[in-house]
Amino acid sequence: MTDTVSSALPSRLHPRLQRTLNSVMSEWNRVGSQARFYVATLGAIPDAVVNYRTELLRLIAQMGLGAAALAMVGGTVVIVGFLTMTTGALVAVQGYNQLASVGIEALTGFASAYFNIRLIVPGTASVALSATIGAGATAQIGAMRINEEIDALEVIGIRSVSYLASTRVVAGVVVVIPLYCVAIIMAFLASRAGTTAIYGQSSGVYDHYFNTFLSPRDLIWSFFQVVAITIVVMLVHTYYGYTAHGGPAGVGEAVGRAVRTSMVVAAVEIVMITLAVYGQSGNFHLAG
Amino acid sequence: MVTTHAVTKPVRAIGGFFAMSLDALVLMFKPPFAWREYLLQSWFVARVSMVPALMMTLPYSVILTFIFNILLTEIGAGDFSGTGAAIGTVNQIAPIVTVLVVSGAGSTAMCADLGARTIREELDAMRVLGINPIQRLVVPRVLAATTVALALESAVTVVGLTGAFFFTVYAQHVSAGAFVTGLTTLTGLADVIVSLVKAMLFGMAAGLIACYMGISVGGGPAGVGNAVNETVVFTFMVLFAINVIVTAVGIQFTVS
Repeated sequence: MTDTVSSALPSRLHPRLQRTLNSVMSEWNRVGSQARFYVATLGAIPDAVVNYRTELLRLIAQMGLGAAALAMVGGTVVIVGFLTMTTGALVAVQGYNQLASVGIEALTGFASAYFNIRLIVPGTASVALSATIGAGATAQIGAMRINEEIDALEVIGIRSVSYLASTRVVAGVVVVIPLYCVAIIMAFLASRAGTTAIYGQSSGVYDHYFNTFLSPRDLIWSFFQVVAITIVVMLVHTYYGYTAHGGPAGVGEAVGRAVRTSMVVAAVEIVMITLAVYGQSGNFHLAG
Repeated sequence: MVTTHAVTKPVRAIGGFFAMSLDALVLMFKPPFAWREYLLQSWFVARVSMVPALMMTLPYSVILTFIFNILLTEIGAGDFSGTGAAIGTVNQIAPIVTVLVVSGAGSTAMCADLGARTIREELDAMRVLGINPIQRLVVPRVLAATTVALALESAVTVVGLTGAFFFTVYAQHVSAGAFVTGLTTLTGLADVIVSLVKAMLFGMAAGLIACYMGISVGGGPAGVGNAVNETVVFTFMVLFAINVIVTAVGIQFTVS
């Protein structure tokens, strides 16, 4: 993977330039090997579904509940629900007060229906997924790589990419759909509870504006958005786990790097999908 | 015996965390202060966080401005897009991106580093030499995370507003003067201060959690991987909770 110059060669002209070029080239090659891993993983999905069904089911169960200490706080479901609950409450706090400052706090229900679906819940859910099931996958695969278990898998004739990576991508997509339902419901409930119970808006006003401006089409699109984000997040996380190196510290570093990369990629993806799907129109008629 | 251990383990972990945090807070004001470690850690956290922070701010502030502008155009108030960008970026996007980056980039790297040292028994060696690892390793790291979070928040705010400006003016054709005038309509100094306070609390909490998870690692490579994973999850949960509370308290002072 790394292209080192043979030490038998005599020293060349422009060593500093050579070094810069080499680092640029290795970066470029890393992008290439990453892309190749992604293609291989996606291509091996049918193989994983057909041949490694037991492993797939085990992963689905494990991702839903989380492993080790994470299972103790209630697993992925509780974590994702908690994070979206706090951001939903944020809509109530920030939205209600900010709208009240211009005298239209009645529209908090609208803000909940509009901002939650389009930006807040997909954004929060994507980072929550990358932190829970994504980072978990990197930690597991990375530890297997360090312990040379992946080489052992190859030796006993198991195709490691489809067994480890493809199964996790499929499991992630299966798990994310109920998780996202929980996320959306928690965000809506938190916004409503915050606005009506804490700030004392009448629930009729809130429900009226919420129901009027809740667009089922946007909701469906946000599901597609989150599924697409999950695929990319799982690909990034399995790649960094699969290529972990450098002992125990290497696994930790791989998890950190995977979280960083997948958060940035998810942010860019949200922008791309939002611009492509919703475009300039709001799909609502506020002004009548 | 095994069951009681399993039941008390989370409680013990929480107790251990608070004990370490108290130690760190007390030792923060006791000489000798590990200046060199503090500077190295600050530089290290800044190095791993800067690029992800900027790369995350731009998409989020652009998309927030975009969604806000749809709404403002609908009610015929497109000139106020600067107001929306300022509320969104200063009050929410900047602190949240700082949270994500400090916990996702800074604290993971910190936890991986400390975890590896714990596995190699370097911490025990320090204790044998009579050096308190909390004072030498944890205190400078927590302070470094706090400093960098503060600096990061400022950078993220500026970059987010600049990104929103270019997107609104050049892609959505709002007049530049109207955007800049709108920035300070609802957002003022108090909002910026609340936002900086948030960032400081985030940095401190993230540093403490990362250090605790790092020094209590056990069980080889898989242990370090799991510790980093748990660090990310717990910091996210704590920081999002802090964000809601500080927003709710701060908004009493900022919105009149």
